[in-house]
Amino acid sequence: MTDVLLVAVPAVPLVGALLVRLPRTPGGADRMNLIGANISTVLALTASVVGFVHGARGLHGSWFVLDHAGACFLAVIAVVGWCSAMVSPTYLASAGKSLFTARRARAWYYTAFYLFWAALLALALVKNLGVAWLLIEATTGASALLVAYSGRRNALEAGWKYLVLTTFGLAVALLGILILFAGLAPHGGTLSTLDWQSIARHAGGLPHQTALFALILILVGLAAKIGWAPVHNWLPDAHSEAPPPVSALLSAALLPTVMLIAWRVVLTLGVAVPHHLADHLMLAFGLASLAIAVPFLWRPMAWKRLLAYSSLEHMGILALGIGFASPLATVGVIIHLAGHALAKSLGFYTAIPLARHDPSSAQRAPRGLARLSTPVAAGAGISLATLSGLPPSPLFFSELLILLGGIAAHQITSVSIAAVLMALGFLGLAHALIETLAGESHGHRWRSGRTVRLAGRLTVGLTLGLLALSVGAYLLADSHAGASLMRGIA
Amino acid sequence: MTGAVTWGLVVSSLAVIVVRRRSLAIALVAAQSLGLGLYAIAQGSRTSTALAVAGTVLIAKALVLPALLLFTVRRARKERLIATEIPALGRLAISVAAALAVEQSIPRFGLAGAGVEHAAVGVLALGILTAVVRRAVLFQALGFLIAENGIYLTGLSLPGGLPVFIELGLVFDLVVIVSVAAAFAAKIHEQLGSGDSSLLEALRD
Repeated sequence: MTDVLLVAVPAVPLVGALLVRLPRTPGGADRMNLIGANISTVLALTASVVGFVHGARGLHGSWFVLDHAGACFLAVIAVVGWCSAMVSPTYLASAGKSLFTARRARAWYYTAFYLFWAALLALALVKNLGVAWLLIEATTGASALLVAYSGRRNALEAGWKYLVLTTFGLAVALLGILILFAGLAPHGGTLSTLDWQSIARHAGGLPHQTALFALILILVGLAAKIGWAPVHNWLPDAHSEAPPPVSALLSAALLPTVMLIAWRVVLTLGVAVPHHLADHLMLAFGLASLAIAVPFLWRPMAWKRLLAYSSLEHMGILALGIGFASPLATVGVIIHLAGHALAKSLGFYTAIPLARHDPSSAQRAPRGLARLSTPVAAGAGISLATLSGLPPSPLFFSELLILLGGIAAHQITSVSIAAVLMALGFLGLAHALIETLAGESHGHRWRSGRTVRLAGRLTVGLTLGLLALSVGAYLLADSHAGASLMRGIA
Repeated sequence: MTGAVTWGLVVSSLAVIVVRRRSLAIALVAAQSLGLGLYAIAQGSRTSTALAVAGTVLIAKALVLPALLLFTVRRARKERLIATEIPALGRLAISVAAALAVEQSIPRFGLAGAGVEHAAVGVLALGILTAVVRRAVLFQALGFLIAENGIYLTGLSLPGGLPVFIELGLVFDLVVIVSVAAAFAAKIHEQLGSGDSSLLEALRD
C-alpha cells in the first residue's frame, strides 16, 4: 500500500502534466490545474505523514527511502507546490505576452510546472544518487522554460544563464558520481551501488584521495544548482525574472531539495574523507554565500531581486547548519527550511499584486505599501520580517539553533563569523522592511481587486503556518528530533 | 580505450573552439559521439551488454541531437559575425592552457589508464570552456554535448560500463536539455537578431 502511495506521489503530477494540455479553454486548464494540485498535495502530505509515523530509519523500498528528513522536505514541496498552483491562474490572467503562442501558452506553463513539481517530489524520495542526479537534471529542462516564460529579453537572459550554469555544474557533479561509482564497483558495479545505504556502508573502504575528489566534484556541481556562492550567478536573475509562482517553487522547493541530496552525500560519503573535510566544505559554502548575499541586502533593490539575494543568504545559513553536523543545528536546519519556504513563497506571491498595481516594482524597491494596500503590505511585511529573522518568527529560532549547534560542535570561529554576517543581513532586511512598509509613496490607495484579495488570503494562511513553526521550533529544540533526523538521512 | 579515440575526442573538442562555421562545429560533435558509440559497440560485443547498449545510445544521440541543432541553425540562417568574440588563436590558447591546468591538477581516480582519466577530465573541461570562450549561444549548447562526451568517455572506461538505467536516463535528460537549449537559441535569435550571448548582459547588480 505504501509502495503504491509513494509511486503515486510523483506519478500524479506527471499525469497532470499531460492532462492540463487537454482542455481547449484557459478556464478548463485552470480547473484541471486545481484538481491536479489538490490530488498531488493530498498524496504527498499523506506520504509525508507516513514518513513521520515510521521510525527514524524510515521506509525503504525498491526505489525510495522515506525517512524523517525526506518527509519534511516532501511536505514543504507539497505545500509550496500547492500554493504556487493555486496562485498560477491569477498570475496567468494578468501575464500578457509569453514565450509561447498565446493559444497554447497556458497549457505549456502548466505542463512545465507539473513536470517540475513531479521531479521535485520524486527527488525527495529517491534512494539512489545516480537517479537523484537524473531528476535534478530533469528539473533544469522544465524550470528553464518557466523562468523564461514571459519571453522578455531579461527573462531569456535569466533562463539561458540558468540553463548553462546549472547544466555544466551538474556535468561536474556527474563526473564525481562516476568516480564514486568506479571506487565502489567492487561492491556490486550495478545501479544499487549508488544507493545511499550502499555508499554509507562501503565508503569507508574507498581510498581517501578518490573519496575526496568525488566528494568535491559532487558538492561543487550541486552547489551550482543550489545557488551557493561562488557559483550562484544564475540565482538572482532567474528568481527575479521567473513568474512569481515559479520563483516561489525555485527558491522554496528546488534549492532546498537539491540541498537534501548534497546533505545525504555529506553524511554518506563524508566518512571516507579525513578531518571532517565534507563538513568544512559545507561551512565554506555557507560562509561564502552569506558574505556575498549580505551587501546586496543593504541596497535598495527591486522586490523579487531582494528576495533572490535573501535566498542566497538562507541557503548559506542552511549549509552552515549541515556543516555544523550537530543535533541542535539539524533541528535548526529543518525549521529553517520550512520557515524559509513559507516566508519566501509569501514574498514572491506578493509580487503579483505589486506588479499589477506598481509595474515599476520590477525595477526599483517598493515603498510605502502600508498606505497603498493593507493586504499587500501585510504579506510583504510578514515575509520580510520573517526572512530577516525578527522574533518570534521561526527563522529567529532556527538561526539561534544553528548557531548554538555550531557552538556545541566547537566551531567557534565559523559561528562568530556567521553571527556577524547574520546580524548584518538582519539589519539590511530590517531597513528594507521599514522602507517597503512606511517609506514615502505616491499614488492613490489600490482598489481591492483579485490579486490583492489573493495576497490577503495567502498572508493569513501562511502566517498561521509560520506561527505553528515557531511553536514547533520551541518544542523540537529540547527533543531527540535532531539525532533522529541525522540517523535517518544516512 | 585506444589512444586514437581519446586523442580524437580531445582534438575535435579543440576544433569546436576554433572553427567559425556552426554546421562544421555540429558535425565535429556528432563525429565525437559517433566515434564513442562505435567504440562502445566494438567493446561491448566482446565484453559487456551494458557497453553495447551505451554504444547504441551514443549513436542515436550522435544522430538526433546534432540534427536538432542543425534545424535551429537553418531557422536562423543569417548569422552575423560576432564582433565581441575572441580571435580563434586566443580562444585556442586560453582553452589549451585552462584544460591542461585542470587535467594536471586531478589525482588518479580509478579508471583503467591515466591517459583516459586525463582525456575524460580534459574533454569535460573543454566543453565548459567552449561555453566560456564562444559567444554564440549555439556553441554554448554544443559545449553541453562535448562535456557529456567527456562523461561518456569516463563511463565507457569503467569496468562493465555504466548501469543501463543511468545510460538511458542520461540520454533522455540530454535530449530534453538540448531541445530546451535549441528553443532558447531560436528565441534569442528572434529577439536580438543575433545569437550573440554577450548581448544578454542586462541583468547586473
